[in-house]
Amino acid sequence: MRGSRRFKVAAAAGTVALLLAACSSSSTGTSTGGGSSTSGGSSNFGGATINVWSSMDQPIIDGLSAKLDPEAKALGINVKWTKVDNINQIIATKVQANAAPDIAMVPQPGVIQQLKAHVTPLDNVLDVAALKQSYIPGVLDTSTFDGKLYGILVSANLKGLIFYPKKIWDAKGYTVPTTIDELNTLTDKIKSDGITPWCAGIESGTGTGWPATDWLENLVMRYGGIQTYNDWISHKVKFDSPIVTQAGNEMAKLLFTSGNVPGGRTAIASTSFQTAGTPMFQPKPGCLLYQQGSFITAFFPKDIQADLPSNVGVFGMPPATAGGDNPVEGGGDTAAIFKDSPAARAVMKLLAATDLGSIAAGNGSSFLSPHKDFPLTDYKSVLTQQYAKVAYAATAFGFDASDAMPGTVGSGSFWKQMTTWVSGSEDLSSALKAIDGSWPSG
Amino acid sequence: MLFKGFSAILTVLAGIGVALVLYWILNKIVEFLPGKWEDRIKPYAYIAPAFLAITLYLIYPAIRTVFLSFKNDDSTKFVGTKNYTDLLKSHDFQQTLYNTLLWILIVPAATIVLGLAVGILADHLRPGSEKASKTIIFLPMAISAVGAATVWRFVYAYSPPGQPQIGLLNAIWTAFGRQPIPWLATSTLHFNSILLMVMMLWMQIGFSMVLLSAAIKGVPTETLEAARIDGANERQIFGRVILPQIKGTIVTVFVTVTIGVMKIFDIVYVMTNGNFNTNVIGVDFFNQLFTNINNGAAASIVVMLTVAVIPIMIYQVRHFRAEEAAR
Repeated sequence: MRGSRRFKVAAAAGTVALLLAACSSSSTGTSTGGGSSTSGGSSNFGGATINVWSSMDQPIIDGLSAKLDPEAKALGINVKWTKVDNINQIIATKVQANAAPDIAMVPQPGVIQQLKAHVTPLDNVLDVAALKQSYIPGVLDTSTFDGKLYGILVSANLKGLIFYPKKIWDAKGYTVPTTIDELNTLTDKIKSDGITPWCAGIESGTGTGWPATDWLENLVMRYGGIQTYNDWISHKVKFDSPIVTQAGNEMAKLLFTSGNVPGGRTAIASTSFQTAGTPMFQPKPGCLLYQQGSFITAFFPKDIQADLPSNVGVFGMPPATAGGDNPVEGGGDTAAIFKDSPAARAVMKLLAATDLGSIAAGNGSSFLSPHKDFPLTDYKSVLTQQYAKVAYAATAFGFDASDAMPGTVGSGSFWKQMTTWVSGSEDLSSALKAIDGSWPSG
Repeated sequence: MLFKGFSAILTVLAGIGVALVLYWILNKIVEFLPGKWEDRIKPYAYIAPAFLAITLYLIYPAIRTVFLSFKNDDSTKFVGTKNYTDLLKSHDFQQTLYNTLLWILIVPAATIVLGLAVGILADHLRPGSEKASKTIIFLPMAISAVGAATVWRFVYAYSPPGQPQIGLLNAIWTAFGRQPIPWLATSTLHFNSILLMVMMLWMQIGFSMVLLSAAIKGVPTETLEAARIDGANERQIFGRVILPQIKGTIVTVFVTVTIGVMKIFDIVYVMTNGNFNTNVIGVDFFNQLFTNINNGAAASIVVMLTVAVIPIMIYQVRHFRAEEAAR
């Protein structure tokens, strides 16, 4: 009798203990943030600590911190870098909990827009006119909301780059197209040489569909120009509009035409974006052109990666008309002040400097500076130099639309409807109408 | 890392300590009562903390979810039944419901039939091979659904023609000189949904086999012999003697699998994320909540799901009571 009672007490206690443990473990995470201004230190900021959160790759953080930390130290500021995965979600909760870091770099400017009541405008902090000259045109627009600048792009990446296997390309004597029409001609020429022209794959696990949105975005930007593109992001231009339809039709012409991709249209939705480019490097290439972002080289076969400059060539998707608007699509990490202080503003000024990336560009990271006056020779990697050439020659920088649109569309219906359309179970017009229908009201 | 582990252990120890103290205090308080009352109150003193915890963590959220289903996407204003009508009118959601219905119609029935078949066939094997075959069939139950789905993605994987086929099914298919097929994207006649169900069956048959095979072995041999003496053939014995006696187990397995299938999420999420017309209610709920950040729509989906599950649970409870009464 006594024994069984004791057992019951222990069992009941265990249940409650588990519940308590579940409660308390969720609160342990919050203890990190905050905590500025400690004693000691030199100069005018007296050793203030500024927390900088980002989700950039560690080599980039290392490169930037190697350059920035000594400069901040000279001002009496200790910069504490923290790598935070899925910062887009975390920053919103931290702001609500009043535990935001001083500065955070977020990959989706839409998040800054949502939280802009808690973000310090930079118009009086930075020399905006000078920055406009220094950045690729349009970079500041991606983080300007209601006429105020809320953040600056620190590290960029590019989309809409077209990769090709260099050895075969050179052997066949192909030339880089300068207009979309020439891209069509090149496609036909490769096909008549007996090679499947395009590699394509939009499968990405639960993110399936995003590579297709990149395709459409790049074409919309080129046909419509940057203004139309930005209006499309804010839904002033509908998905079911002539420009977007034109872009979709061109994409269909390049990729869905019989014999243009390995396995045909139905294969695209089931082929992983990571391996879709691999057939380029076969002795008899399975396909020749692959449109992707600057990060894709990391997924190329190991022996190709060992010597990228002699194996891989790259050009930016050409403009609609020769010499016309030549925008470039990209993304990146945008820094914004979430906890205002003079020291945070001082760090922001350092983050806006052109030479911020001079170490990161040379340490083997994938860092790409959004400053068009950044010296190309600072990039250690030949391929990154080529990306930079494409980026700095652009007439405008458009932020990845699916990252800038509301999540319901940007990572929801846009991905899903593009997948349905690409797989051939829906036509373009119904896909575009369905995305319009999913746009959040109000 | 070390600190985190240490703090976790500390939390658990402190939690158990606090809970022990709580029960000890409750026990002491009750013991102060006069003898008769002590016995009356004591059970409640012990059940109260657990009951409160269930109310707090289960009933309160359930009621709140019903409330939220009548509010807008960020739960700031009431929108009436708009969430429900919007969903039910949308073509995509109708397809989602239809797919879920297919799962409900096919998977529980197939689980029973196949589990029963394996149970009966294994019964005729020598004890050693029966154990071995049952163990192998039961094995997938031990794998997490997400892990199993990841593995089955490779079974159905596709590479364009001319590329090495790493997917098992396409490797076999192309060995016969055919073109590879993107299995999971083939939605003709809901073929891809059925492929996902095959995986579910692979995981579930072990469960149904173990229970049904135990039930079959539990059928008294006298009844079988009596039937044989009366001249019944094997088929008649199965249909008229064995089946009626294992009906209770069949219903239990059927209901359990049905409820599991109505809530199915992990397999579909990992394999297709609802693309190619394979969406089901569980995945749609997840995407409404975490991709679309639409609390209202997500809440109304789970409310509909709960409403659909309740009758099945009532049936199960009633059936269980009837069985108990008959015993």
